[in-house]
Amino acid sequence: MATITCKDFLDRLESWMEGDVHSDSQAHLRNCPHCRSLVDDLKGIRSEARSWGAEEAEPSARVWASLRSQLEQEGLIRPADAAKTTWFGGWFASLPRPALASAYLTLLIAGAFAVSRPMSRPSNEARWLAASQDSTMPLRAQLIAEQNSFASFNNANPVVNASLHENLAIVDNYIALCEKSVQEEPQNEVARDYLYQAYQQKADLLAQMTERGENNR
Amino acid sequence: MSASHFVRKQFTWNAGWKAAALLLPGLFICGMASATPPPRRQEQHFKVDAHPVVTIHNPNGMITVKAWTKSEVMVISTRASDYVEVEAEQMGNRVDVSTHAAADNVAPDDMRADYQINVPEDAELQIHDDSGEVNVANVLGDMNVETVAAGVDLEDSAGYVTIKTVGGSFQCTRCAGKLEISSISGNLRLTDIHSFHVHAQTSTGNILFSGEFLPNGIYRLKNYSGVIEVRFSPADSFALSATSLKGKVINQASLTPKSHQQHFYSRFGNSLFGTFNAGRAKVELTSFDGTINILKRD
Repeated sequence: MATITCKDFLDRLESWMEGDVHSDSQAHLRNCPHCRSLVDDLKGIRSEARSWGAEEAEPSARVWASLRSQLEQEGLIRPADAAKTTWFGGWFASLPRPALASAYLTLLIAGAFAVSRPMSRPSNEARWLAASQDSTMPLRAQLIAEQNSFASFNNANPVVNASLHENLAIVDNYIALCEKSVQEEPQNEVARDYLYQAYQQKADLLAQMTERGENNR
Repeated sequence: MSASHFVRKQFTWNAGWKAAALLLPGLFICGMASATPPPRRQEQHFKVDAHPVVTIHNPNGMITVKAWTKSEVMVISTRASDYVEVEAEQMGNRVDVSTHAAADNVAPDDMRADYQINVPEDAELQIHDDSGEVNVANVLGDMNVETVAAGVDLEDSAGYVTIKTVGGSFQCTRCAGKLEISSISGNLRLTDIHSFHVHAQTSTGNILFSGEFLPNGIYRLKNYSGVIEVRFSPADSFALSATSLKGKVINQASLTPKSHQQHFYSRFGNSLFGTFNAGRAKVELTSFDGTINILKRD
């Protein structure tokens, strides 16, 4: 049986999640802990997302559109096909859509790191760094775009407002320093873990700001 | 008109005026009462069974929760203004307490509500308080507390405790059970801890842990910058892994190096691995550019 690469598997991920199970994908999944972990995460997120309450605040359509576009750029899903309702399309439509940019950004982060994480020991640091940058740069741009949309965020409570903005600045600084460290020592997994965690914190903070912004409207 | 008829009519007339005179002040008082908002301080009691769940959603204010021996939940709320409403209701064995704005564009100070709540000690708590302060004492059930800027102070807990703050600090004294704490810039202070599972993480805050390392317990403390300080006693038994990528690791424990040391982290930053006594608990301390202090407890 021909073995497929992680990239091949990611190309087929959407079909896989729709139930279209190929034997070579199945074989790859058995042998690849990274892809297996990604699939488990996706299933977990899908299952968790269905349990979220419909009464919660809904992020703007722009957030969903940009997240979808990001997932497409990451290669995790195919571009939208108007003639066919895909698994992801169906998923997006069926979800109660609470203020969960966080969950989707976390998914992006997990996906990005899963793709960039070395499947085997890299032959050189430059390749590792390039892979890391390729996967994190779009994500970074996405987070910056999201952040720009919060420039006018203003919670009714100035204490909360100040705290959220101060901590967003802290996390941004933290991201910048972690990125610098990863660039200096691309094989340093501790620095990469810190960077991953910083992205997660930022996604979480932006979600909190979305939720509070929606509640104040 | 006869005299008797005149007298009867006069009597009826007088009685009508008298009744009206008596009723009017009453009606006036009733009218006043319906226009007056409820008192700003309210006390409510709810009978509950074992293991009740109490949820509190408050955007701004102080929340004090204490355990007592009664099988009831008492909620004393104090509103800062009439522009804010307090709602406390019971659904089965759950009591939900929440604060709402009663008008649009309420000033932040007017949105404040303070709560003093007494619960049975086995109660489960879910608390959301964006700003202000949260104090919980002697509650042994599980609890989840989420805040933005509010500090959280916990005493004598025993359940599965999850705390999440953005900038609020967290202090825990004599806590047992399982503790999971995360913050971005809050300081975390854990003293006299008797917990088998502690996972504390803050980005720029300091972390202090002073307590017992229980056999088979897992203690993970992680920050980005700031100081992580762990205080151990000579009787403790733990396997230590301490790494600061850019900062220092200061150690007062006499560690026995692991025989087959293979740890990826050791290639980067300052790391320390080894066991203290029999190494029965697992202690992992990680910082990016903060200092890690492993000090003897006084």
